[in-house]
Amino acid sequence: MSASATANRDPAADPLVQVRGLTAVLSGKTVFDALDLDIARGSVTAIMGPSGTGKTTLLKHITGQMHGAAGQVLVDGQDVVRLPREGLYRLRKRIGYLFQNSALLTDYDVFENVAFPLRAHARLPEDLIRNVVLTKLQAVGLRGAARLLPSELSGGMARRVALARAIVFDPMLILYDEPFVGLDPIALNQVLKLIRTLNQELGITSVLVAHEFEAVREAADHVHLIAGGKRVASGAPEDLVRADSPWTAQFFGGALEGPVPFQYPAPPLARDFGFVGATA
Amino acid sequence: MKQFVARVFDPLLDGLADVGRTGWFFIGLLLALPRGLTYPRELLRQIWFVGAKSLIIIMISGLFVGMVLSLQLYYTLSIFGGTSALGTVIALSLYRELGPVVTALLFAGRAGTAITAEVGLMRATDQLSAMEMMAVDPLAFVASPRFLAGLIAMPLLVAVFNMMGLFGGHLVGVTWLGIDNGTFWSNMTGNVSVWKDVISGEWKALAFGALVSLIAVYQGYSAPPTSEGVANATTRTVVSSSIAILALDFVLTAFLM
Amino acid sequence: MNPRRSYAAGTGLFILLGFAALAYLATQTTSLVNFESGPSYDVTAEFTNIGGLKDRAPVKLAGVRVGTVKSIVLDQKSMDAKVTMAIADRYDQIPEDSYAKIMTSGLLGDQFISLSPGGSPTNLKNGSVLDNTQSALQLEDLIGKFLTGSGGGKSSSSNKP
Ligand SMILES: Nc1ncnc2c1ncn2[C@@H]1O[C@H](COP(=O)(O)OP(=O)(O)OP(=O)(O)O)[C@@H](O)[C@H]1O
Ligand SMILES: [Mg+2]
Repeated sequence: MSASATANRDPAADPLVQVRGLTAVLSGKTVFDALDLDIARGSVTAIMGPSGTGKTTLLKHITGQMHGAAGQVLVDGQDVVRLPREGLYRLRKRIGYLFQNSALLTDYDVFENVAFPLRAHARLPEDLIRNVVLTKLQAVGLRGAARLLPSELSGGMARRVALARAIVFDPMLILYDEPFVGLDPIALNQVLKLIRTLNQELGITSVLVAHEFEAVREAADHVHLIAGGKRVASGAPEDLVRADSPWTAQFFGGALEGPVPFQYPAPPLARDFGFVGATA
Repeated sequence: MKQFVARVFDPLLDGLADVGRTGWFFIGLLLALPRGLTYPRELLRQIWFVGAKSLIIIMISGLFVGMVLSLQLYYTLSIFGGTSALGTVIALSLYRELGPVVTALLFAGRAGTAITAEVGLMRATDQLSAMEMMAVDPLAFVASPRFLAGLIAMPLLVAVFNMMGLFGGHLVGVTWLGIDNGTFWSNMTGNVSVWKDVISGEWKALAFGALVSLIAVYQGYSAPPTSEGVANATTRTVVSSSIAILALDFVLTAFLM
Repeated sequence: MNPRRSYAAGTGLFILLGFAALAYLATQTTSLVNFESGPSYDVTAEFTNIGGLKDRAPVKLAGVRVGTVKSIVLDQKSMDAKVTMAIADRYDQIPEDSYAKIMTSGLLGDQFISLSPGGSPTNLKNGSVLDNTQSALQLEDLIGKFLTGSGGGKSSSSNKP
């Protein structure tokens, strides 16, 4: 009954993630200013924006690691801010998260890192764990590295292990924070294919934070461009490059001048260098 | 004058606040403890790191403490013509006081610092956040096993320390200073009680184990995620643990023994 | 070996070693040693003064440990201390008229009961009473005797300066 109801519902009308009026202030800096944003079920949505604009912070709000000063974050209909610990953890079991800095557990080898969520939440027979973990490692091309320690991995290898760990449970939602960083073109293509396969074959909703527009164009159905604490543009990747908004024009063109600030907010250069005091 | 007052009172207030925060952390830890018991393999691993790896330093220190104790007490006792009580006095000093206290101080330096540095680094490299994202409570998975391991390892380490101390004392007293072997042991067995001496010392060990591992885990948990932050937290673990051990020792001795 | 198994083995070894040390300390270095575990029979003796004799103090004959003090009570009729000793069953050839004396090991050491064998052909058995006893030597009396230079009369044991 509820399954058919879900199937009949228009995915755009029932987004998996709804961010409403989210306002967040960190160390006195307003990172989000009444941000609104939807992630449609079964889509691959890319979040783009200049460095330091709050993409990682947004993912942390979606998973309840951070709480905004105001606003609402709904994931699968649940308000993550109001959710008690138990409920939050139950929700997180259905979310995969790829940390920007991999965050592998340094005490465990690659195999145990990927097996960690399985062991923590399910009493599975050892050979089933082995099969699942090795399949996921194979998917990121690191089956042979199963017994290496995180300290013995390169940065790109560590990211792929973290990716394998994020997808080991086949969750309903995966958040990738910069999955392509440090990957060579071959590995990048493989990870790209993996993200698409997970989405198309298992219907996993994916949120992709990335700077590589070529890769985003390949993988994402939808792009949100965030700058200055607001969503400044949204749409299919092809439409976005062609749109004549000054934001997209500057961001995708890479111009230094424009509405997107390259500098972190700062007092005028002259004051920091002491010229103001000299002339006054 | 105001500055002077501030210089004296600020660190005091900081220290007091730290005690308070450690107390709150302890309550959270206790609540997480039952869930922590669902990770027995992690507990076993931590007993290895915290206990087994401290064994060598504990054994060597115990041996030397016993030897020194024997020399000093022999000299003191010979003034009163009571050297036949050497075994008793060595055993009582070790069981009631030196065993638990010296072991706890060494434990703070050897295992406490390791716990703080490790947990602090896990915080700094987002490993604790990663666990939370995988719906694993770090209080249950990281903090609880380390705390319990300290609680379990300390009484065992103290027993080993005491045994080595006794051997050291026997070596010096009987082999070198020529006290009669039979007198050494029979005087001891006549005067040392299981409950009042051996077991009450083990209660102290248990209390110190809980104290040191609580401080160590808390300091690691709350360390700022920088190299300097972790370094400072490690230092604080040693300083706070040492003061806390000696203060608690006085309280326990005064009220329980 | 599997690294995880070697962890577990090392940890197990450590725990075993710790408990072994604790067991050793508790049983071999304390008064638990003095517990006579084998079968024994009870013998009583009355002393006018037991000094610092305690429960579980050793009972020795010719310096060899033959038993343990089991209980000490005051007999309100005679106003004497009634001491019950547990003698090991294998020492069943101790003459009935043996002499029990409370002695001190060393100047400041512990007190114990020393038995000196008598000449009777019948031996001690369960329930026997030792009639010949000598109480604990009181250090104060000894010093008093020493100071007055002669046998301690009644006057020297009272508290005169
Ligand atoms: N814990 C924190 N405390 C204070 N400020 C923070 C904290 N975390 C992030 N910030 C600030 O929030 C802003 C957004 O940071 P965030 O890491 O989300 O950026 P980002 O968009 O992911 O950038 P990048 O593309 O470089 O990863 C930054 O200006 C940063 O200075
Ligand atoms: Mg980021």
